[in-house]
Amino acid sequence: MTGQTPPFELPPELAIDTDVARRVIGGFIRGQLQQAGFERVVLGLSGGVDSALVAYLVAEAVGPQALLCVLMPYRTSSPDSRTDAEAVAADIRCASESVDISPIVDGYFDSAGVAGGAGGVDASALRRGNFMARARMAVLYDRSVTWRGLVVGTGNKTESLIGYTTIFGDNACAFNPVGDLYKSQVRQLALAVGVPESIVRKAPSADLWPGQTDEMEGGFSYPLLDRLLFWRVDKRRSTEELVELGFDLGLVERVDRMVAGAEFKRQVPPIAKLGPRTAGVDYLYPRRRPGSTAR
Amino acid sequence: MRIALAQIAPRLGDLEANLARHHLLLETARADGAALVVFPELGLTGYLLQDLASEVAMRLDDPRLAELAAATRGLSAVVSFVEESIDHRLFIAAALLEDGQIRHVHRKLFLPTYGLFDERRFFAAGDVLRAVPSRLGFGVGLAVCEDFWHLTVPQILALDGAQILINVSSSPGKDLAATNEVGLGTATSWRLLMRTYAQLTTSFVVFCNRVGVDESISFWGGSEVIAPTGAPVFSAPLYDEGLFCVDINPADIRRERIGLPLLRDERPEFQLRELGRIVAERAGLAEDTTDPGATR
Repeated sequence: MTGQTPPFELPPELAIDTDVARRVIGGFIRGQLQQAGFERVVLGLSGGVDSALVAYLVAEAVGPQALLCVLMPYRTSSPDSRTDAEAVAADIRCASESVDISPIVDGYFDSAGVAGGAGGVDASALRRGNFMARARMAVLYDRSVTWRGLVVGTGNKTESLIGYTTIFGDNACAFNPVGDLYKSQVRQLALAVGVPESIVRKAPSADLWPGQTDEMEGGFSYPLLDRLLFWRVDKRRSTEELVELGFDLGLVERVDRMVAGAEFKRQVPPIAKLGPRTAGVDYLYPRRRPGSTAR
Repeated sequence: MRIALAQIAPRLGDLEANLARHHLLLETARADGAALVVFPELGLTGYLLQDLASEVAMRLDDPRLAELAAATRGLSAVVSFVEESIDHRLFIAAALLEDGQIRHVHRKLFLPTYGLFDERRFFAAGDVLRAVPSRLGFGVGLAVCEDFWHLTVPQILALDGAQILINVSSSPGKDLAATNEVGLGTATSWRLLMRTYAQLTTSFVVFCNRVGVDESISFWGGSEVIAPTGAPVFSAPLYDEGLFCVDINPADIRRERIGLPLLRDERPEFQLRELGRIVAERAGLAEDTTDPGATR
């Protein structure tokens, strides 16, 4: 299925005004920093289009000198990813550094009793992938202290909706400027802000094992999935209406299940209601308010 | 006549900082020769207050409000804040300050509590809609944001004598579909309805919308002044802060109302009769003529 899909296709109903998007996102990034009392940003740069786009947007909003890009390869990560990430950091002229997460991940899975012996041979790709994502999160939050910057999120709306994220891993951040953009829109905006075309057009991959691509794993192309989610979520179309629009019934039902199953990843965990006022229930404040930046 | 639109980004929950900014902008506008200065909805407090609302609320006898009013000698200004009534209800209020006095207070009538809005949870809705005479020489009608998404508001204000309809807003922008005029769905909708109101009420429409960011929400600005013909006189840029001065000719109101006497031909008594019937039918006090099966 992915074989017949061109690497970048923008469904017309998903096309956004990229000038307005840049204005809004630039103001959003500056607002988040100002309200939190920070001037700098830390970003995990993978070599993929999502984190590359955010790097360009942050540099555009607050200047490249405020941005630290951290490359966090694992020993099986694609060398091409690293080359692409380095090209982005060089083009932006921001600070960048590389932290090899192999010792962290291997150290854990090599530990006695963790995953059936040395090398963690029994650990599934899912376990290893999730652990890698959380190791990267831990590195970014540590660097946020030394760099004195906020961790910026780079997850897009498509992966958030279908749950193609690791909770408390790649979805952990202080704020996310692109989380309301579908993958196709991320690519459209990436081209507009100057992300190298090779990065925009390459097949998206979580890069958890060699040759992995999102689209092969999910069994559908991003333009198709983005369109389906757009009509379902943003335009509130019923299953019958989606089928009339030409979507396959089986795909609609499958994606519905994925979206419903990932609801927990998009929300703050519930706290048992016991006292008179409970955070997130009936104690409701904006996360930044007068006094909150005093440290 | 010169109108100054203060398209600002208030600091969320920081009443003192916002008050200082209002004082400063009033003086700037005065120096620029403005007769009327308009600030956005909740310009004194920020929008997404949640439980902060009670902490930044002011009674109408609050000395800080009196001090702000005192800064309007020789001026008219519209400012907006959280008003706490004597019985401790919180309202989103817009006040017309003139010549040192609080001339009129409008409490937001329609509190959106759907989609990204949750106003009814934190605020009480106003019950009164009045146009007021002003030192500017004609009637003024105040409305706050969502009030303008209800046809009755501009109509009643115009019938009550308003010749300039002032809407102050904290309108969050959404929908960046490339097909939208100016690239923003919210701006397209607002422009359409404001031009329609200006033409149908043959009044000036003045719209002051904030900019800046509260949490996830970005406010889009795009403040406007629209002539009684429905033609825009001025459109402020989207998302930029600024104090924008716009000159209008009040004689345009008379010209348009003579040429297009829509307000003369309005029939409020007939509206009242039909509305009375609809209210009675909805309450089950009369047979529903359009839906005979309706529960009574």
